Amino acid sequence: MDADPESTSAFAVDGLVPSLTVRPGTQDEVAEVVSACAAEGAALVPWGGGTAMGTGNRPERVDVVVRLDRLDRIVEFDPDNLCVTVEAGMPLARLQELIAEKKVLLPLDPPDGARVTVGGLVAANLSGPRRLQHGTIRDWVLGMRVVLPDGERIRCGGRVIKNVSGYDMNKLFIRSFGTLGIVTEVTVKLLPMPAAQASVMGLFPDLSGAAAVVEKVLASFLLPEALDLLDPGALDLLAPALGHGATGGFALVAGFTGSREVVARQVRDMEVLIAEWGGTTHLFQEADSVRAWAAITDVFRALPEDPLRVLCTMAVPIGRTAGTMASVRVRAAEQGLTATLSAHAGSGILRAAFRPTHGSSGEGAIPGMAAAIEILRGEAAAVGGSLVIQEASPRLKERIDAWGRPGSGFATMRRIKVEFDPQRVCSPGRFLGGI
Amino acid sequence: MAQSVLVEDLRQVVGEANVLNTPVHLQLYQYDAYLEERRPDVVVFAHSTEEVVGIIKVCNAHGVPFVPRGGGTNLSGGTIPFKGGVVIEMIRMNRLLEVDQRSLRARVQPGMFNLELGNALALLGYQFLPDPASQKAATLGGNVAENSGGPHCFKYGVTTNHVVGLTVVLPDGEIAEFGGMAPDAPGYDLTGVFVGSEGTFGVCTEVVVRIVRMPEGVKTMLAIYDSIERGSETVSAIVAAGMVPATLEMMDQLVIQAVEQSIHCGLPVDCATVLIIEIDGLKDDLEAQSEAIVRLCMEHGAREVRVAKNEGERALLWAGRRGAFGAVARLSPSYLVCDGTVPRTALPTVLKKVAEVGEKYDLKIPNVFHAGDGNLHPLILFDWRNAEQKARVMKAGMEILALCVELGGTISGEHGVGLEKMDSLRLVLSEADIRSQLRVKRAFDPKDLANPGKIFPAPLEVVGAS
Repeated sequence: MDADPESTSAFAVDGLVPSLTVRPGTQDEVAEVVSACAAEGAALVPWGGGTAMGTGNRPERVDVVVRLDRLDRIVEFDPDNLCVTVEAGMPLARLQELIAEKKVLLPLDPPDGARVTVGGLVAANLSGPRRLQHGTIRDWVLGMRVVLPDGERIRCGGRVIKNVSGYDMNKLFIRSFGTLGIVTEVTVKLLPMPAAQASVMGLFPDLSGAAAVVEKVLASFLLPEALDLLDPGALDLLAPALGHGATGGFALVAGFTGSREVVARQVRDMEVLIAEWGGTTHLFQEADSVRAWAAITDVFRALPEDPLRVLCTMAVPIGRTAGTMASVRVRAAEQGLTATLSAHAGSGILRAAFRPTHGSSGEGAIPGMAAAIEILRGEAAAVGGSLVIQEASPRLKERIDAWGRPGSGFATMRRIKVEFDPQRVCSPGRFLGGI
Repeated sequence: MAQSVLVEDLRQVVGEANVLNTPVHLQLYQYDAYLEERRPDVVVFAHSTEEVVGIIKVCNAHGVPFVPRGGGTNLSGGTIPFKGGVVIEMIRMNRLLEVDQRSLRARVQPGMFNLELGNALALLGYQFLPDPASQKAATLGGNVAENSGGPHCFKYGVTTNHVVGLTVVLPDGEIAEFGGMAPDAPGYDLTGVFVGSEGTFGVCTEVVVRIVRMPEGVKTMLAIYDSIERGSETVSAIVAAGMVPATLEMMDQLVIQAVEQSIHCGLPVDCATVLIIEIDGLKDDLEAQSEAIVRLCMEHGAREVRVAKNEGERALLWAGRRGAFGAVARLSPSYLVCDGTVPRTALPTVLKKVAEVGEKYDLKIPNVFHAGDGNLHPLILFDWRNAEQKARVMKAGMEILALCVELGGTISGEHGVGLEKMDSLRLVLSEADIRSQLRVKRAFDPKDLANPGKIFPAPLEVVGAS
């Protein structure tokens, strides 16, 4: 337990400094902490690696930050059944290291992979380029243990692939952003490690060539693990890591894993496709491929610090990804914003960083930024998608909702929140519609 | 009197021809593929989301429960109107509304049969991966309600992994959209929560599913064993070798014999078990993979391994597996399908114990199982006219489920809880777990009108009092 203002300020959520941080060492202790908060009417926010703490609206209150870094043990590793149970504070990167000796992995690659914890991965349903083939943590969780807002401990799911014994409660807590309790333990499926991997990057003078290749690949038999589209801004940021010269153009990077034969065949086909559509190819083999993807996944970390920078995720139908990239670039420029865009082109996910193009870096720029983001949100909404703010200054968050307007399922969501957390103990106000 | 007002109100919504309430008609809707029966008060055919809204509003006005029904293939009593009320027949909402190949999604009405969707997509070179064995008669809405599995789950997951959006008429008659064509809709994942809710959260009237390209190549193998243990050891060996087959299915001798009698697909009736293995993906390494698998099978004591040389041979291997439940019906007037799941490596142990349960209760128990994902379907044979035997069957079934839980598994892999497993739910859920699930139920259906009397056993106090 820590109430020292100096150290608690490191756990501020959108500028709200908790009066207390707590580091429970066991799942039972988490339950005791939550019970105590509930008894006192204190608002708590769970904290894993802290990588998704910028996401969402500013909470109504933050009294206690519950740090989960001491819950970092493997509970049970069962490589023969391809599953592992870990405590929620286990960093993903460390988990991968620990299970690698048995030649298995959890094939997910969220940004900030070194810091993100398994619990954070679950609470925010974070994903990376590999979601094209492997989905998100939603597709890998078999079971979990959760401390509910009243301190009661429950179990969801189990450790088998097929399980319809009661409701699928895992889904309720995945991507609930700490608003329904604290996930303390997670059981996930694993995958055997592939024998080989390689990636092909195609550099194109304009977006249309890269977009055409995306469409061809998705309609083909090829099974890329990842298919990311980079705009000129993102490509520039990655120049040191990917070792290409400045191009001013767009890149499409396709990652392949599997047997040597399958990887080699896909690399060949990909190179042909890229050439057909006017691109030049770069090949990354094995460790180089791993490094290339690490850089692409964390591309926004290479951005210069800027208090007015806004990081967003836009989600659109897969077939609209490249088109949305094009329209967002145009709209952003019209609004006086510089956009840096990187898309999981086979998954319908665009990651975007926006900042004012001209040096109007003062507070005065904030209303304009907020209005511009709403216009960009409209681009996603126009094709049935969404724009979610991943990171923005608290001042900007006062003027714009991080999630956008709730849809028709919201009444049920609010009732769920009320059923589970009538006292609003867990991350109040942070999620959609003030949940 | 009240009854006739209900019927009249429903006729106002869907027209006279779409409301059934004669005893003969109602009798047809009082059962599904489970063993219990309960007669509805009225059956209504819905043709649109708006009609479903109208029907549910009438149910609310009368305080009458409703149960959505698709193909009625449910094995746990999910579609039996336990507390009477209105059965909403969804089978006429059976259109494929949209296939968006560029976005790899299809929008489907819930009354469409799983196989029909598969066939329609196949013409375009795509597939919907969940393929329960009942796919000829099971609807998409039913797949959603039950979170259906099928033989491809080991590699490709279950229904919930392939459903990305739903239009739902909630139990108060409001329409809600969960998820959709775009991923990651902000808010709780109500699509994921709804899938597998067994009709207790409302009626889904549209489903957005993930579609994927047909694989470039498929190879199907049949390994024949004289020992069931060796067969299931092979399954673990294949996985340990780092391969992820699309399918790993097993049938035991009694099932094989039944299948051979009814379908004649060339299975050896004297073997202990057959293992059907299918691998799919790019053609480049399928040959090498299949050689490696054949080698593993032989090393683990297979008597023979057949590799399907063409689509015809492949279809024949599958006909046996898909027809297994039907074929077993030849062996006795009735059977109880168990649906336990264990971690894959516990399969040999659980199979041995299931055989012991059969001996203990003097019952024949043929076995079909999805070996890749540890989901076993012991089929306990009996004659429904023999009450004493039926009582033994129920006990044996419970014991098998308890075994699965003991070995780290669960009581239902893909058939649901329904009426059948309410009493065994406590084997896997604590009182706190049950309470938390009931909170979700209340959030969706505070008046308890949607398929009431299912899944959750009576609270313990009440059980004690009676």
